[in-house]
Amino acid sequence: MKALTANRLTDGEVVFWRQGQWVERFAEADLFAGDDPAGEAAEGRAKTQVLVVVEPYLIDLVESEGLWAPLSYRERIRALGPTNLNHGKQTEGGAAIAALKHAHGASRSTGRVDLIRRK
Amino acid sequence: MPTYIRLRGGVFGLAEDGFTTVADDEVLPPGDVIVSLTRFQADGERLLSEGRQVGVRIASDEAVEALAYDLPQIAVVALEYPKFRDGRAFTSARVLRERLGFKGEVRAVGDVLRTQAGFMVRCGFDAFEPADGSSVEDWDRATRRFRHVYQRAADGRVPAFEARGV
Amino acid sequence: MYRYDTIDREMLADRSAEFREQVERRLAGDLAEDQFKPLRLMNGLYLQLHAYMLRVAIPYGALNPTQLRKLAWIGRTYDKGYGHFTTRQNLQFHWIKLADTPDILDHLASVDMHAIQTSGNCIRNITADPYAGATAEEIDDPRVWAEAMRQWSTLHPEFSFLPRKFKIAITAAPKDRTAAKVHDIGLVVRRARDGQLGFEVMVGGGMGRTPYIGSTIREFLPANRLFSYLEAILRVYNRHGRRDNSYKARIKILVAALGAEEFARQVEAEWEKVGASVDLPDTELARIRGAFAPMSFETLPAVSEAHEAAKASDPAYARFVRNNVKPHKKAGYGIVEISLKTVGETPGDATAEQMEAVADLAERYGQDDIRVTHEQNLVLPHVRLDDLPSVHAALRAAGLASANINLASDIIACPGLDYCALANARSISVAQHIAQKFADPDRAERVGELKIKISGCINACGHHHVGHIGILGVDKKGEEFYQLTLGGSGAEDAAVGQALGPALPYDRVADAVDTLVETYLRERHDGERFLDTFRRTGVAPFKEAVYADVH
Repeated sequence: MKALTANRLTDGEVVFWRQGQWVERFAEADLFAGDDPAGEAAEGRAKTQVLVVVEPYLIDLVESEGLWAPLSYRERIRALGPTNLNHGKQTEGGAAIAALKHAHGASRSTGRVDLIRRK
Repeated sequence: MPTYIRLRGGVFGLAEDGFTTVADDEVLPPGDVIVSLTRFQADGERLLSEGRQVGVRIASDEAVEALAYDLPQIAVVALEYPKFRDGRAFTSARVLRERLGFKGEVRAVGDVLRTQAGFMVRCGFDAFEPADGSSVEDWDRATRRFRHVYQRAADGRVPAFEARGV
Repeated sequence: MYRYDTIDREMLADRSAEFREQVERRLAGDLAEDQFKPLRLMNGLYLQLHAYMLRVAIPYGALNPTQLRKLAWIGRTYDKGYGHFTTRQNLQFHWIKLADTPDILDHLASVDMHAIQTSGNCIRNITADPYAGATAEEIDDPRVWAEAMRQWSTLHPEFSFLPRKFKIAITAAPKDRTAAKVHDIGLVVRRARDGQLGFEVMVGGGMGRTPYIGSTIREFLPANRLFSYLEAILRVYNRHGRRDNSYKARIKILVAALGAEEFARQVEAEWEKVGASVDLPDTELARIRGAFAPMSFETLPAVSEAHEAAKASDPAYARFVRNNVKPHKKAGYGIVEISLKTVGETPGDATAEQMEAVADLAERYGQDDIRVTHEQNLVLPHVRLDDLPSVHAALRAAGLASANINLASDIIACPGLDYCALANARSISVAQHIAQKFADPDRAERVGELKIKISGCINACGHHHVGHIGILGVDKKGEEFYQLTLGGSGAEDAAVGQALGPALPYDRVADAVDTLVETYLRERHDGERFLDTFRRTGVAPFKEAVYADVH
């Protein structure tokens, strides 16, 4: 599975693609199957939104106890906030954040699909 | 005729470009031309003897000192910005003006952006082919942005350290 | 302290107006991101993992209380109530909105501050000795030259699009607190036998992917020729530095490729042609020097009764004095280092309240003077020993009294993967785990001077190459791993650390550091620091101890 992410132009906030809009919560992001061309199509559309977001890219997800979480540490930190202080997205709390915090299987420090593919 | 931006007597204006920039593999047209350093080194003498105005285009990895001997006869030195981040042409312009005493036109060509207008003018450029669609007004505004400068450069502006002494 | 005049202030106002317009053009779609990015970077604005980051310049690490209070206010108003002091004596805000930055720059300008050239391929903020004007060791006040270089480098028309970034450090004391030998240019103030003032000029030091210790290309440059010589160095670099590969674009690569002698020859040849017209006139130097005129120190006895009494009665105070208070050039005064390395906290972070507390102390007890060190701590350079007990009490109340300067828990760490878009691995939490091992202050003092430096990627913002123990985060088969190096130093005895062995996983780093320290305690001779022992024994005993249980 994949999700589409970017930083919002005006404030740099980490955002995720959801049906043509950008949302701040990873839990609300659209998930694309690995072979679903819709993911790349969304990325293509997102790249034209130069006044909304900066540098959108697809990230790899991994399943952990029935939940999809970003594969990489980097993308988990983007989805949750920094690990040294509790002052990012994780301050919202709730079940989705808790599940993401405890998800297993984090790997690659960069979860960027396009970067990995190029290797 | 294509146009470019020119700075003359402290005033920016739009001017018609009477020069044709000729690639190395192109046949030389009649009239005023700008050629590469390589071509100038091969054919310069002949070109200058033909009664036309000659300009030389200097790539960012070429040294303007190569022109030192011929400068009095050269009308235009076009300094190339392959990317706007490549700042070598700033040095080339200063060397042309301050060390080699070049009085002709120093033209910025390539990836030329108005956001660098101030730096270019300070280094001695007086002609510009903007790649970002900017206007004469944009260049005028951009170069008036800073009321003061801290360094002596090729434009003769009085640096802060001198202004303070007055 | 240098006070901005109308010219300096109008420069900042013009710069701020320019950036406001550039932001407007970006938000209106008139500037593409790839055109805007270098412009925002030259105003210190990065896009990091969670938000924009604004790096504010603190020229030569000097602040007055008004400025520090303004930084606190900006942290509270536009960030999450704190700021992060960096290894280049700057301050970073990590949660900034693009749309707010023009206003923030205006607020900074209102107290003579800015973010000019805190990023980009230009001449960056000048690093200087944080003890300048306070230590008896120095030959001259390096701030005079640092301020003159600040002005010279600001919007330099020729050197704003160099092959890569360019960092200059200056010190005037034999004990180097600026890491001058790992800067693009390191200047050491020297005095010739005839009394003439000048500089030893070192070029081509640096960290990153290929670390180098700088080479001296001129033993003695007459002080009044500094700027023409700098122009010559920068011009040779601008013309000949590599532009085809950003990892090979720093001046250190050029100097290494040409050899220091040939590089020096080219600089000297260029310098002859530059001539003296770009050198600062003596009148301007005198004007700047006047701004750093010696403070009006009181004539005090060398021994302060209040100070001695507190030392005798309060062990925590005595410990603070042992580690954080350094000798001042005037009798009855001390240089007070304020540690931003409280165990469990983020190295270099200060809350808005802490910044305000330090500003208050500087105003009340410290001649309005505050410094930032490249080791991410703060300094009150001029405190009367009589006032030290009060200063210590106030620092304790603000959570700023950690007595660990130069000890194992005084760790340099970059923001790492928790914030930085370039990082491969986390730095902060590794630092926190290590610091925890030395939370017992008696143990930390027993270990003595130990410089641990952590970078989350090869760009080496955490100076790992020059740590007595250096730690570099890498991405190894998809996991956070850490390469350890030993024996580096960023001081006057500068050296690049030597690899210990295979990288270690995240959860083994703190234990490994603990093992290294135990090995040192076992091996050390009397009076040896960790670094000295390592230099005597070599890597073998340390390697054996750390990897013994791996096989």
